[in-house]
Amino acid sequence: MYRYDEFDTTFVRQRVDQFRDQVNRRVSGELTEEQFRPLRLMNGLYLQLHAYMLRVAVPYGTLNAAQMRKLAFIADKYDKGYGHFTTRQNIQYNWPKLPDVPDILDHLADVEMHAIQTSGNCIRNVTADQWSGAAADEVEDPRPYAELMRQWSSLHPEFSFLPRKFKIAVTGAQADRAAIAYHDIGLRLKKNGSDEIGFEVLVGGGMGRTPMIAARIRDWLPKQELLAYLEAIMRVYNLHGRRDNKYKARIKILVHELGAEEFTSQVEEEYTRIDAPRVMPPAQELERIAAYFAPPAFDDLQDDSPKFMQHEEEDAAFAQWVERNVAAHKQRGYAIVNVSLKPVGGVPGDASSDQMRAVADLAEQLSLDEIRVTHEQNLVLPHVRKQDLYRLWQELKKHELADANIGLATDIIACPGLDYCALATARSIPISQDISNRLGDIARQREIGDLKIKISGCINACGHHHAGHIGILGLEKRGQEYYQITLGGSGDERASVGEIIGPGFSSETVTDAVETIVDTYVGLRQNGETFIEAYRRVGPDPFKEAVYAAH
Amino acid sequence: MAKKITGPQVLTANQLSDGMAVFLSNDNVWLTSIENAQFARSEEEATDLEACALPAIRSNDIVDPYLIEIEETEAGPVPVEFRERRRIAGPSVQVTFNTRPNGQLALAS
Ligand code: SF4
Repeated sequence: MYRYDEFDTTFVRQRVDQFRDQVNRRVSGELTEEQFRPLRLMNGLYLQLHAYMLRVAVPYGTLNAAQMRKLAFIADKYDKGYGHFTTRQNIQYNWPKLPDVPDILDHLADVEMHAIQTSGNCIRNVTADQWSGAAADEVEDPRPYAELMRQWSSLHPEFSFLPRKFKIAVTGAQADRAAIAYHDIGLRLKKNGSDEIGFEVLVGGGMGRTPMIAARIRDWLPKQELLAYLEAIMRVYNLHGRRDNKYKARIKILVHELGAEEFTSQVEEEYTRIDAPRVMPPAQELERIAAYFAPPAFDDLQDDSPKFMQHEEEDAAFAQWVERNVAAHKQRGYAIVNVSLKPVGGVPGDASSDQMRAVADLAEQLSLDEIRVTHEQNLVLPHVRKQDLYRLWQELKKHELADANIGLATDIIACPGLDYCALATARSIPISQDISNRLGDIARQREIGDLKIKISGCINACGHHHAGHIGILGLEKRGQEYYQITLGGSGDERASVGEIIGPGFSSETVTDAVETIVDTYVGLRQNGETFIEAYRRVGPDPFKEAVYAAH
Repeated sequence: MAKKITGPQVLTANQLSDGMAVFLSNDNVWLTSIENAQFARSEEEATDLEACALPAIRSNDIVDPYLIEIEETEAGPVPVEFRERRRIAGPSVQVTFNTRPNGQLALAS
């Protein structure tokens, strides 16, 4: 994985020192809250409903064991023994105290982590496919490009005061596990007819109050031209983005208002004006970055492990876990393990410090010291020998990390909502817990099959409800929470925005409505159709009829 | 100018040090409980109450003060707005760990 060079180390340490000074000046009254607020936000520190919240960046979702142990240490020493993994592949601490934050940042810097670029109108932490560098279906590891973009965008003077925040996601596979079509810029590495690798470029996707699927503005961009082309996109945005209206300031609105064709031609025109060699990094720099992401020292193994196959045959619970949580690896004899942070009735994405330490130990022993955070709020051990899977599963079970529910009804995304978030209009977590308890029987979940339920506690859509097969948006009316349901959203390579099915539901009835929707699907599906396939065939009507007849 | 109000108000803020919600009490002390909060019942009183935040802002004890409307009940003052009720109640989920929350929805912090 990427290691800081001298510049990175100095820069991060300096930022910690500066922030320590700023906190001291705030506490002593030298800085007012108005002066301090933008400074703390630049360092990932928010003031939420009940406490401060510190958002720590996990660049492209990649961590090693030492970093995860440090996160656990911080959770114990400065918080309440847990952390919350988010849909941005970050971790949030919900209870830090202001005077402690500089120390927390210092500890993070010890393991080359920080909380910079997790807030503000800048290019945020770049996200990536959580299986990068491991997935069998990947044409190339996208993380060196994510790192390149991180370096290019960090503190870039032209991009530090954009009209709004800006999010980039990148994948190296056809199957989209990074929801690239829902980002300001989505990038997919792919091969052309001559077997060369380049980028497909999508622009203008987003969630929030105006959900949009990104438009493809380039089918093929030679990969060495990436930064120059991105600069052209950013310039068009910087020039024409709506700074006058916060709700219209994201690039998706610009793409929408100009039309994808006009936007594309403006970018292409700008691109001809860019001095590409100036923007493009020297080849040695690219190689230097890529070297950090070189494949780890895999053992030369047979693809099949007899030991693994025997356990799979003899232990049905293990076989079920393998079926749902284990994915194909590009290296013979290895597998990708998805570690669920969605115990039935639990809080999506929360991990205790004990669990973090357990995952760190297991990563060190069994996954070549690598861990990933997924935008679906789970963890991944990306490089596990198949022969070690049974042992790993048994260890995960001891820490309640072996739920075999990846991609099933209880693998719910939920944002912090009104249990923590100052912007929330309703709670998300208790709703997700209620649904999880209702649909939690594993046989029933397996019978229902692939289903993505996503819940946001306000229109900002951090819980990605627009991309949920079943999306739930928490709102407030006359002093009560109510929940709007959307159906048919998807964040994968066939991205779509969910449609509202009708009037909302109270917190007491929303789980019933979800269950009715699920039962309706089970009743009408044909030939093993998944929920989303069935929805795309029949549309919303059967679901609406069932839900509103019953409630 | 006097602030338009539609019911009794109390003054709330967040503590600078840890962000906790606090309420100005009858004794002019900032407390984490709303129980003994000072009321403003008229627009003039509301303006006066808001001004009471100044010393604590100046001494860097609180940030972001604002008035909230409450209802007087037998159990004490209850905010009218749902958000404020949740802010007082704290998270409806378990917030100290090391055993997994299995469907426990109503543990206080
Ligand atoms: S969707 Fe709203 S409630 Fe949920 S985390 Fe985002 S801002 Fe907060």
